[in-house]
Amino acid sequence: MGWGKCMSENSSVYVLEMRHMTRRFTGVTALQDVCIHLKKDEVLAICGENGAGKSTLMKILSGSDGWGNYEGEILVEGKVCRFHSTRDAEAAGIEMIYQEISLHLELSVGENLFLGHLPVTRLGTVDWKKVHEISREYLEAVGLEVDPRQKVKTLSTSQQQLLAIARALARKPQVLVLDEPTSALTQTEADNLLRLIRNLKEKHVSCLYISHKLDEVFAIADRICVLRDGRHISTYGAGEASPRQLIEDMVGRKMEILYPKQEVEIGGEILRVEDFCVPHPYRRGHNIVDHVDFVLRRGEILGIAGLVGAGRSELLNALSGAETRGVSGRVWLEGKRIDGSSLREIKEAGIGYVTEDRKKNGFIAGASIRENIVVASLDKITDRGLISRRSEKEYAGKYFEGLAIKAPDMETPLFRLSGGNQQKVVLAKWMMTDRKVMFFDEPTRGIDVGAKAEIYRLMSRMAAEGLGIIMVSSEMPELIALCDRILVLARGRFTAEFSGDEASQEKIMAAAT
Amino acid sequence: MEQKKEKKRIWQAMERFDQLGITIVLAALVIMASFTNPTFYSAGNIINVLRSASFVFIIGIAITFVLITGGLDLSVGRVMAMAGILSAMAAKSGVPVAVSILTGLVFGLAAGLINGLLVVKLHIPALIVTLGMMYICDGLILIVTMGSPVYPLPDSFKKLGQGTVFGIPNIIMISLALALIGAFVLKNTKYGRQVYAIGGNRETARLAGIPVDATQVSVYVLSAASAALAGILMAGRLNSAQPGAGNGYEMTVVAAVIIGGTSMFGGAGSILGTLLGSLLMTVIENVLLLMKISAYWQSLVIGIIIIFAVGLDQYRRTKYGLG
Repeated sequence: MGWGKCMSENSSVYVLEMRHMTRRFTGVTALQDVCIHLKKDEVLAICGENGAGKSTLMKILSGSDGWGNYEGEILVEGKVCRFHSTRDAEAAGIEMIYQEISLHLELSVGENLFLGHLPVTRLGTVDWKKVHEISREYLEAVGLEVDPRQKVKTLSTSQQQLLAIARALARKPQVLVLDEPTSALTQTEADNLLRLIRNLKEKHVSCLYISHKLDEVFAIADRICVLRDGRHISTYGAGEASPRQLIEDMVGRKMEILYPKQEVEIGGEILRVEDFCVPHPYRRGHNIVDHVDFVLRRGEILGIAGLVGAGRSELLNALSGAETRGVSGRVWLEGKRIDGSSLREIKEAGIGYVTEDRKKNGFIAGASIRENIVVASLDKITDRGLISRRSEKEYAGKYFEGLAIKAPDMETPLFRLSGGNQQKVVLAKWMMTDRKVMFFDEPTRGIDVGAKAEIYRLMSRMAAEGLGIIMVSSEMPELIALCDRILVLARGRFTAEFSGDEASQEKIMAAAT
Repeated sequence: MEQKKEKKRIWQAMERFDQLGITIVLAALVIMASFTNPTFYSAGNIINVLRSASFVFIIGIAITFVLITGGLDLSVGRVMAMAGILSAMAAKSGVPVAVSILTGLVFGLAAGLINGLLVVKLHIPALIVTLGMMYICDGLILIVTMGSPVYPLPDSFKKLGQGTVFGIPNIIMISLALALIGAFVLKNTKYGRQVYAIGGNRETARLAGIPVDATQVSVYVLSAASAALAGILMAGRLNSAQPGAGNGYEMTVVAAVIIGGTSMFGGAGSILGTLLGSLLMTVIENVLLLMKISAYWQSLVIGIIIIFAVGLDQYRRTKYGLG
């Protein structure tokens, strides 16, 4: 592995090589000496858990994490390339398809396909005839039956994903990079997409396919490469590896260390939810959470599993009071009714909520660690409206050190921190409040492995202190390892309940679909 | 060795001083003025500059709050004139001065409350709401005054705008007092923290239990009330309430605040910056006047100096990664 292996292979068969890639962030090495080789006309899958280094690698390859930030070199068709921006990467023939679709919703399908490269007539005006003609060709290539004049916002998510691929193809790339492209799609839509990718070989487009969904990887990849903790672990040809082997490689030996679950005696009921409904945000007359009942006990970590769109985040949003419109049902916190209360009242009653998207509503990027930690408990550091600097420093310092947040000092703004440390600040913020129940929505999303373990340790510690914890996660290994009990949510209702010991990925998946 | 370290620390602190660029430009202007025209340093001129800056600054303090929450208020110039006119009309018709002043202030509070409620409850962009309020006040002014100024005013009213404390005009004293209060509130109170938090990330602030809507409404009330106060003081100063008073102030004030380093996107800003910004805006005009630069050229030169001063700070912030 490493140096020798990278050098020994003949570069002419490769359309893309990434040699000895190393990327360091403050306190964390996200990539360490990773080599990736993509042959012409092949689909190379890159697998790894969240935080394995996949997205760091892709950011470098797309040019958004520019040359100079990393060590190592990128070769396209044997030539060394330095990407300073995404434009450079596109010019070198590398097209990216991201999880979140980045199209211009207000523009037409045709305009999106040719954005920045619209064909013009001799007069310099846009040649619409040509746009629509060529559009049809590319839409056909991806099997998308829409009118090029249609606005993109009228398309469904999967149609948009296909359009994004058509757009990438229209730029005639050498390499197409797909980052979890099926995460927003249904099974049938995903199958169509996979078929399309398999056929790209005939068009001489090589693909890097990033995913942690093993069935997809086995369905389309010619070779499979596994990353873990920022390192290259193994590469297999199609058919060489079993799913079991891949999982072992992806998870590694760290399994036990990763989930530091404390044994906690589970106490009495702390939260009771009955007949709880949340209306669907887009479909009128439907409930995204449909008449659910459950009970949470002191010291318990209750997992909620389910697919994207099953209503998991909506359930937490409504219970925390972040979303109140049309919500119905009865909720008791320590025996007191709290349904119908405002967000502030529910927070004061003792519910803390670590949201799914910390950047959007978890922290203040421009504010310091100190300011972020105290922002939800200003009452604790104020006396008659005046802030006590000393008590603020004491409180913030306690959590800053207690949670081992990696930063030069407490005055460092949050946008300077890694995802894991940002998440620790969010946790610190809620730990400072007098909470009795904590909600965690995808608490380890986009966090490196080391910080993940620390987040788990903090959650276990909260449970040990007698808090009730609800955890929503798409990562089944963490749910199974951490939770005392797992409820499976499918189409707004609980379809199964497992104790932590009896739960397995297969059982949960069966109940979720 | 120790001394060297200390020097380095001071240097670093200076480099990190948010308003370094505009302070340098301000200092350069003052020095330049003293070479070209000694009258710049006359007590009369200095008081004159400070008095003009005070009108901008009084409103600027409140606008700093508004911008920190991520809002905007373009109605201040016209609210200022309307409040001055209302107070002047009341005073002229024999209403006791205290009550007539209150009339203008109440108008400001009401205008601010309407601005705030429309922004928060109906989710209309602040730009639109306050632009609408600007036109509404403009209309009210014309309807009420038929375009002519309200004068003369009772002596006690005049005194407010023309009086002095220890030889320093009331207006300057009032603006300094408000500055101290504003800076203190922003840095040392729970309310100030909430203002910053809302501008930093509204959703995060809401989920942290901060009364986002009430705080947002309050900053609009604050800015319109400050504008009303400035308008009343100006009417007293001029011994008449002019329909055109404060015309264009909305831009001058917002420019002064932004020049002072307050973010247009919310979450950051300071009263000290606004003070320097207000001074810069006024000093430029004064210096150009004293240097006898043709009035035709003034706006152009002001524009260039502003862009240069702010560009300097922006460059430095990017360089040191200060956001």
